[in-house]
Amino acid sequence: MTEESFFYGHISKYLARTQAGLALTLLIALSGLDFFFPTNYSLQAGVHGISAIAAVVFSTLLTHRIYPLIRGIHINFDSLRHWVMIATVLNFLGAVSGNWIYSRYRGQDGPRDWILANVPNFHNILMEYKEFVSLFPFPLMLATSFILFYYRTVIPERRDLTLFVGIMIFLAWFFLAMGFVAGLVLAKLRFV
Amino acid sequence: MTANEEKMTQPEPVLVSPKVPLQEGIVPSGALVAATLAPVLGFFTLMLSHHISRLSKSLDQLVHAYGHWIPGSLGSGPDGSIGSYTGKETLALAVWFISWAVFHGLWRKQELSILTWIPWFLGALLLVTLGFLHPLVDPIVLFLGSRLGLI
Repeated sequence: MTEESFFYGHISKYLARTQAGLALTLLIALSGLDFFFPTNYSLQAGVHGISAIAAVVFSTLLTHRIYPLIRGIHINFDSLRHWVMIATVLNFLGAVSGNWIYSRYRGQDGPRDWILANVPNFHNILMEYKEFVSLFPFPLMLATSFILFYYRTVIPERRDLTLFVGIMIFLAWFFLAMGFVAGLVLAKLRFV
Repeated sequence: MTANEEKMTQPEPVLVSPKVPLQEGIVPSGALVAATLAPVLGFFTLMLSHHISRLSKSLDQLVHAYGHWIPGSLGSGPDGSIGSYTGKETLALAVWFISWAVFHGLWRKQELSILTWIPWFLGALLLVTLGFLHPLVDPIVLFLGSRLGLI
């Protein structure tokens, strides 16, 4: 490798890492700034927002690992197991913190009251849908973690198992993304 | 060999094989089906308990009672409460974990076809997802509720 190509290779690597770091920081700020909003429920909002965004980031990264997995390309299963476990924990935190903030959503003069008075379909359709499908990713991810551990000795040789793991990760991401977007829309309509 | 004889000698296609003796290096797929059927049953429980709770105040209180153990399930004022959502979550969790344990015990030594299970799994998830869309499902819920005398 020439000195010039080594230099440009390094620059592109650092740029890619910088972009990933900046994107993560900005995404975290999207909800992290909730901690400073003028409301008595800023803690609940910040914790739920950050855990939801973290879960979305991890699940999105995981979806990029399922395509080589399904194609049968050799991947590092130990690493995949750890990432899926982290995503499982983050999804659990997202569901628990969602319960925490949901009581304020339903509270007196809370977002639900305002939305029902002004744009009722956003509660009757969107929120009633979001509050349930947002619970789906945690069980799906827990089942995926179980599969990756239970079948750890045979999964590199079983294409049907890797296909199923890929489908589970994709589905968890899909339900998570739907819940995330719906949550953002509702928070934009009326913050807690 | 006649066509009939040939047909008789061919093995019947089986989707579910009988229990296989555990061999070294073999991990039957029954545990995967158990682990992934159980959450789907939990999701259906969530959907059914949700629609049942919307039929009347007394049914909502009945569902809510299962979730009183969850912090925040009861309350009023600006802080609010999680309400009967806690009961729905509790029932779904119970069905998820109990059915997982039962099916794991039943199928862990069986080799089940994962490729056959995939379309059933996806179809069930699609069904339960549509079941939470109120404009779509409310006419069905109201029809069934009135036929069963619940409303």
